[in-house]
Amino acid sequence: MAYSGTTELSAGRVYALQNSFELNGRISAYPETARGYSVGNCYLLKEGDRAMLLDTGYAVNEQDILDQLGRLIEPDTPLSLFPLRINEFMSVSNAMAIAKRFNVVECFSNVPDIEDWIEFETLRGEERNPVLKTTLIERGDYSRVALSAGRLVDVLNAPIRLISTRWIHDEASKTLFSSDMFSHLWGDREDGPWLLGDNEDDDATDFAFVRSFLLNTRYWWIEGANLSPIRRAVADVYDRFDIDTIAPGYGTILRGRDHVERQFAVLDDVLGQLDRTNVAPTYVPRGLER
Amino acid sequence: MQTSNKLPREIAPGVFWLGDCLAQEYQGRPYHSYNAAFLLCGSDASMLVETGHPKDFPEIERQMIELLTPDRAPLKYLFITHQETPHSGGLGRVFQNWPDITVHGDIADYHLAFPQHADRLVPMEVGDEIDLGGRKFVAIEPVIRDLRTSLWGFDTGAKCLFPGDGFAYSHYHLDGHCGLLAEEATSLDLKDVLAVFAARALYWTTTTDMNIYVDKLEALMEELGVDVVAPTHGLPIRDLALTMPKVRDGLIADGDPEMTLGEARGAAQENAE
Repeated sequence: MAYSGTTELSAGRVYALQNSFELNGRISAYPETARGYSVGNCYLLKEGDRAMLLDTGYAVNEQDILDQLGRLIEPDTPLSLFPLRINEFMSVSNAMAIAKRFNVVECFSNVPDIEDWIEFETLRGEERNPVLKTTLIERGDYSRVALSAGRLVDVLNAPIRLISTRWIHDEASKTLFSSDMFSHLWGDREDGPWLLGDNEDDDATDFAFVRSFLLNTRYWWIEGANLSPIRRAVADVYDRFDIDTIAPGYGTILRGRDHVERQFAVLDDVLGQLDRTNVAPTYVPRGLER
Repeated sequence: MQTSNKLPREIAPGVFWLGDCLAQEYQGRPYHSYNAAFLLCGSDASMLVETGHPKDFPEIERQMIELLTPDRAPLKYLFITHQETPHSGGLGRVFQNWPDITVHGDIADYHLAFPQHADRLVPMEVGDEIDLGGRKFVAIEPVIRDLRTSLWGFDTGAKCLFPGDGFAYSHYHLDGHCGLLAEEATSLDLKDVLAVFAARALYWTTTTDMNIYVDKLEALMEELGVDVVAPTHGLPIRDLALTMPKVRDGLIADGDPEMTLGEARGAAQENAE
């Protein structure tokens, strides 16, 4: 049975809305041969009477996500949407459904007129969907947006990315929302667990597994690429921000400083070993798994 | 400055270019690009390639209705190169407006985004064909791809390549390039507009040696005997002899500069030795 659960990551401030899907070779964020289950993660940040939702989830989970939100905010709570990858269904599928039911006051975007990008319905005659106010995020690798006067969140141009992607750092909860990175932990059971605490072991993350995961998903191109700038940018995130929790867009959430240190160390090791100075680049045909 | 949309346009016999421009600014300069769809008409069936950007679907729908007159074969198939919404965002509306259509390609994620239509998704792999009558549509290797699930297509009738993100470049609205073929847009600086798109949407191409990919692309085009290129974002190409050298230069210029010169490859080989 499909899993749908809400986990409080920081008391009253950060919630994970997790909804499972089967890994059946038809999930673009996972290797084609991966089998088992994973979750799509949306995150609700709350402060005072305001809230911000990072990603809106797949349409298949629309009702679950609306119900999860309905248990955390009121219909009139001013809600900001922030899709971390505006070109992917996981980030934007439910934006309009959420705007119809909740008080969506803005949608953060790197492009103007966000509603042009998230309208997937056929409207007939006089039918109209809510008009979303676009709040443009600043160009460049770093900016901040306000959840409230006293709570700003850091917006990062993802230091390693395939498509236009943002990472978010929430200083108040020391959480890094890493979108499609650090999303390599899935499981055999649909009901999880989908959070790994600081006293729990991560049996999967090591050099070989992360290397394989990256090369077999959306990072096939890093083998033999110039990864020095990317390694520096990832290291800068680690050095610059206080991170206790890694909250990816898919898969298991990692809580605890030991997990954070390990994830960044393994990623840096993989990027270092795959750098052009160690590996010559070659053409990688579609479907080649390594 | 606004001009009326110049699409649809037949770019080869039975191959119609659909869509409208998307205006964007880059480093203070206005650029337009397409998130195009193409209608491919055989004698027995027609196929839509890509659905276009969500903003364009009402316009693409209007263009399709205009083109799908009774003397043309009915729309039976939709092929999508990959799951990004500027390519597939109209999928739900195609399902709704053409209830008998089936969707082909690498069908990852669509069952999560459009669960009510999951039974109309048909997977394709490289080499799989769909017979449209008088022409076949073949799924081919996606040489320059976006998501790992990308696929390209080839129409045997007009020898037309559908490379999705493969020839991704903007054009100059102020120079009147909207609706033109690449060869007709004489002031189009392909090196500039390929670089704009790479910086904004194909970041990975700036990190590696693009000679590898361009060599593979040219070999694939030679093998297939491509005569026409119908890119999702760029202007269509009809004169390959004139335009492909510029595309080659532009794609290679997008790549990591040192690797393009071969220095890094040499270092890696030395380390390997």
